[in-house]
Amino acid sequence: MLCFFLRYRFLYSPLMATAKHQRLHQIAGASLAGSAKKPKTMMDSAMKEEFAKHADYLNALNDKRERVVKASRDVTMNSKKVIFQVHRISKHNKEEVLSKAENDLASVTDQYMSRLVKELQGTDFWKLRRAYTFAVQEYVEAATFCRFCKTGTLLNLAEINASLLALSDKDVEPLQINVLDYLLGVADLTGELMRLAIGRISDGEVEYAEQICKFVRDIYRELTLLEPMMDDNIEMKKKMETMLQSVVKIENACFGVHVRGSEYIPLLGSSDPDYSFLGVPDFE
Amino acid sequence: MSSAPAGKSAGGERGRLRERRLAIRTAFRTASLPALSSASSRLPPLPCPNPNPKPVLFLLLPLLRTPPFSLRRFSSSPPRDNATSSSSSSYSLPFMEKQFEDFRHQLDESGSVRERIRSVVMEMEAAARLVHSSLLLVHQSLPVLEVLEKTKLQIEVIKGLFGRLAEILRERPDQYYRYHGDWRSETQTVVSLLAFLHWLETGSLLMHTEAEKKLGLDSSEFGLDIEDYLIGLCFMSNELPRYVVNQVTAGDYDCPRKVLKFLTDLHAAFRMLNLRNDFLRKKFDGMKYDLRRVEEVYYDVKIRGLASTESTQDETAQA
Repeated sequence: MLCFFLRYRFLYSPLMATAKHQRLHQIAGASLAGSAKKPKTMMDSAMKEEFAKHADYLNALNDKRERVVKASRDVTMNSKKVIFQVHRISKHNKEEVLSKAENDLASVTDQYMSRLVKELQGTDFWKLRRAYTFAVQEYVEAATFCRFCKTGTLLNLAEINASLLALSDKDVEPLQINVLDYLLGVADLTGELMRLAIGRISDGEVEYAEQICKFVRDIYRELTLLEPMMDDNIEMKKKMETMLQSVVKIENACFGVHVRGSEYIPLLGSSDPDYSFLGVPDFE
Repeated sequence: MSSAPAGKSAGGERGRLRERRLAIRTAFRTASLPALSSASSRLPPLPCPNPNPKPVLFLLLPLLRTPPFSLRRFSSSPPRDNATSSSSSSYSLPFMEKQFEDFRHQLDESGSVRERIRSVVMEMEAAARLVHSSLLLVHQSLPVLEVLEKTKLQIEVIKGLFGRLAEILRERPDQYYRYHGDWRSETQTVVSLLAFLHWLETGSLLMHTEAEKKLGLDSSEFGLDIEDYLIGLCFMSNELPRYVVNQVTAGDYDCPRKVLKFLTDLHAAFRMLNLRNDFLRKKFDGMKYDLRRVEEVYYDVKIRGLASTESTQDETAQA
């Protein structure tokens, strides 16, 4: 930035000698106090008025930002809880775990997302994005995770936004999740799906894991095209690397089962710790 | 749709492929891939031409052929071929693809908007540089009126450029802050230049609404962000110590008093703001040091009795 270089040239005044430093500060302090006693001029009061307005503006902005941050924290925490809930899925309790997760997600939407929706409107969507982006990503992650476990499909952005429309007042512009936050949330989803796939494999549900594998591959493929086009895509770049690792982990796990399946299928579904899917042989 | 996202250079393309190759290698290392001799029948066939060819993927194809077996997994062939070999995969692929295609269009558009904005901003930076170099002449005691004459043209240019930015964003209402980072620092520079010129001309502070008017901005549409304005004022105050020093050297002993009053008022006005620990706060803290240096110059002039007698009489009358 041009400005910075210009500013720091002026650091040394030719008039200043270190010996005079102390005295100068004392007298400078006195003269400052002296000038404060001078009668206020017209310009002064105009400046005061101006800056009073600016102070109000900044206070309102910062207060709003605080409220958004608080609401975001709640959304993040509770979305994470939904995700943990979904991870409890096993062969036998799929239905009940999912229905509880969906209820929890609905309450996150009603209680916490609604607060975000009420705070943000118009240009503040983009202005305060840094304050709420993580929360929205977490929320998208939770919602898409539930949807996938239920139907095997990717919950798309239009649907999530439609469900949020219901939360905002009629006359206010509704909060709509933007493309960038959605994609970042979907990128995080792949990490959770990887964990789910590995879990399903050790539970014996190999086909389910393969379904997850295909799904994650598709997402990765689509996102490689989108990643360079995203605004400020440093975050997405990092997520792409993690996503690739997740994809490979799932594929290796599926591979492990297929190649060594005959060797350890009896162990599948048991609670014995088994790391053979990592490629390390369990027994020689 | 363009074959590659707008603005991608050939060097950038190669760089991205290099990165991708590295990412793949890293992913394998961390996922501890076991050695594999025979390919399972499950593996998808080698990359076949995709119905919607995307050149980016084709560039990856040579990459896919040379390294070992495992990269076949990243083929561009649609996974529909796999669907038959495993049990019901109930997800709707075409639906997913459609959504992502929409995203590609959207992001392509926003990418090109950003390109246009960046080119306007580059011109703005050049014009601001010209204004600044003319403004530097005040340190060599060029009369203020002449400086104002010299800078007038470039300020008109800048005004026009803001007009172009406003036009670009008119198509996308409410996205001012999406792209705001691209013109933020240039705006701050421009405000600081305008504020300094205004002070040289009138001795008073350029107000926010006046600044907006000078730049042809309109707060209901494309306005001047208040924080940019305030930071611009802080940058202006950074110029004042140097100006005062040079004016005194050139023989203008009245200047320190005027500057001191102005900067003291400005600093006091800023103290009314409740600032949090961000960039604006840092710049405001810097203003304190500018004020101190101006005070020192004023003191140096005063104790030597160099200031004009008129001004000393004023002070004794009011003290």
